Amino acid sequence: MSVVSNAARAGVLVLALALPTVAVVTWTGSAKGRVAADQAQAAAGTGKGKAATASASDVGYCSPDLKRILRRVLQSCGLIGGEGVRGCQPVQARSVATMSGSDFNALFRPMKERGGLVEFEKAKSELGAEDTAVIDQIFSDQRGASYFFVVARASPEGSVDLNRELSRQRAENVMSHLRQTFNDPDLDKEVGLLWLGEEFAQLEEEFCQWRRSGDPNQCKAEQINRSAFIAWIDCTL
Amino acid sequence: MQRKPHLYTILVLAGAALGLLFAGFSTYDFARHLDRQVHSVNCSFVPGLTAAEAVSDCHITMMSHYSSVMRETVWGGVPISLGAMSVFVFLLLFAVELCLTRRQEDPRATGFLALATLLPAGTSIIMGIIAFSKLDAACKLCIGIYFSSAVVLVGALCLWRRAQQLRRAEEIGRLSPREEGEGGGPSSWAGGGPRRAASSSSDESGMPRGGQAPVGWGYVAGAFALGVVLVAVPAAAYVALAPDHSVFIGACGDLVEDKDAYGVMVPTDRHKGGVPSVEVLDPLCPACRAFESRLEASGLRQELDRWAILFPLDSDCNWMVDDRKHPGACAISEAVLCAGEHAGDVVDWAFAQQDAIKGAAASSGEAARKLARERFPDLARCIGSATVKAKLNKSLRWAVRNQLPVLTPQVYVDSVKLCDEDIDLGMEFALSRMIARSRDGSLRKRGAR
Repeated sequence: MSVVSNAARAGVLVLALALPTVAVVTWTGSAKGRVAADQAQAAAGTGKGKAATASASDVGYCSPDLKRILRRVLQSCGLIGGEGVRGCQPVQARSVATMSGSDFNALFRPMKERGGLVEFEKAKSELGAEDTAVIDQIFSDQRGASYFFVVARASPEGSVDLNRELSRQRAENVMSHLRQTFNDPDLDKEVGLLWLGEEFAQLEEEFCQWRRSGDPNQCKAEQINRSAFIAWIDCTL
Repeated sequence: MQRKPHLYTILVLAGAALGLLFAGFSTYDFARHLDRQVHSVNCSFVPGLTAAEAVSDCHITMMSHYSSVMRETVWGGVPISLGAMSVFVFLLLFAVELCLTRRQEDPRATGFLALATLLPAGTSIIMGIIAFSKLDAACKLCIGIYFSSAVVLVGALCLWRRAQQLRRAEEIGRLSPREEGEGGGPSSWAGGGPRRAASSSSDESGMPRGGQAPVGWGYVAGAFALGVVLVAVPAAAYVALAPDHSVFIGACGDLVEDKDAYGVMVPTDRHKGGVPSVEVLDPLCPACRAFESRLEASGLRQELDRWAILFPLDSDCNWMVDDRKHPGACAISEAVLCAGEHAGDVVDWAFAQQDAIKGAAASSGEAARKLARERFPDLARCIGSATVKAKLNKSLRWAVRNQLPVLTPQVYVDSVKLCDEDIDLGMEFALSRMIARSRDGSLRKRGAR
């Protein structure tokens, strides 16, 4: 074997050993450098963007004005910042809303797809099968909403006190049904009850277009006000 | 004896060079992921000349449990393609050696080369079977390696066969004069036959041939040892120089509220004495299925007592996503919740039927409900009910309460997050350490729940 041949063999051997080893050293060194750079960026708070964080819905109609009103109502009703007292008296609702009945109702217009009306028989507060079906359908479709409003009313027939009590019973019955049907530990934190009697924010006939438990072929003002308006509110406060 | 490479040697050289190219690209892609980031990988029969792809069969193969060894020792393990690189380098080296030392007609040296080519060929067969039977993925780079392995095997076998034939021909040539009474016995053979090269000064084997004597067994052993060194040195360098990923274990957050206040966690794979773990799961998410597959292959499954929180990436029920990323995921999640203790059965079915379910549910989730009802008639009334929809919603609300990222899968071992970067390649490395730390009580930070 010539010297040249042996030198060539040695050269090939060194090259063969060096090729994968140098590649490995280069690649791992490069990765190590990138890891260190990422760690430095993370420490400096300039790291790459991460996946979005899970959060409750806060949709377009949640204007600052709406949120202000919602906060007042929710605080007054004990849902936020309170001691867990539920239920707003009609007068309280009027005072916290500090607005006319029609403006109050207008707050809920954007929630048409997220709410409905549970209609009661005259002077009654018991829920029928169609009523509970509407409640279940709407409540189970919470999605990202944080608050569920139950706003019960009574039609103007009868005394103010009677209607106030009737609307309270209607709201409470909706709440009882929710408690019985849905084992939801957040119920007391997310369901706000308001009973307005006949005194405040009577519904106009435009609400006939909403999802209702009553006869779809009949809709008059007194019918839709013998009701509990229910809706999820997709706003965070 | 010729120094110029024979056609078969050229075949071996070409196959080894091609194999080195494919294995090199594959190892490069693998090693890039050591930085814990997501990268595109080369997936082409002409690597380097076409754009790398983010999701491909090569990606699936690379992320699988079978792409590397020592996965619990090194983050991601040592890629098998690195071994392939070294083996092809060795074959290249040995083929050149045969030329330089004029051993292309040496049956023993060429036999060793043929034997050496069985390693990449055998490995290719095994990996091919795994790829098609377990991964259902045809990785082009891998096919390139399989092809190269076949080329070197065929080249080496032909070279060896030719060397044997030449030897037999020489033996016949030598025997013929003796049979005809022309020879003078064995000692005369040592003196050299008519075709013996003048340069062959000695032939200790006593077998006169046209060139040198066959290489000794010492030479073969040396070549084998060199092959081992060529494989071991780059692998050792890889193990020694890979970034230290253990510093990230336990540093990716934990559950703010690990209690199941809503009663929405479902058992998916319970093991008594296992470390409790919670997986944020979408039953129609391919990454969740791949994670399940890796976990199964890793052997770590039995170490965990697994529960799942449903987090379907489907805007039908999940307000946190803009579109129906996994159509039907809400409906199948309902089925999982309905199954309660048997949730694992529904998850297994959903993983197996992912593509079919998503295809059927492309226009409406109701089609997915129908499939689930058909497969699990006992759950038919529950699936789609208001109660289970509310429960699924609470599952999503649980994610909100814990301020989890909107992605799946997420795995929490003993309430401590397995880093998202450790979900695929680094799973065995990170998960085995988290399990060990949980068992010795050092996983959760002091003062944590």
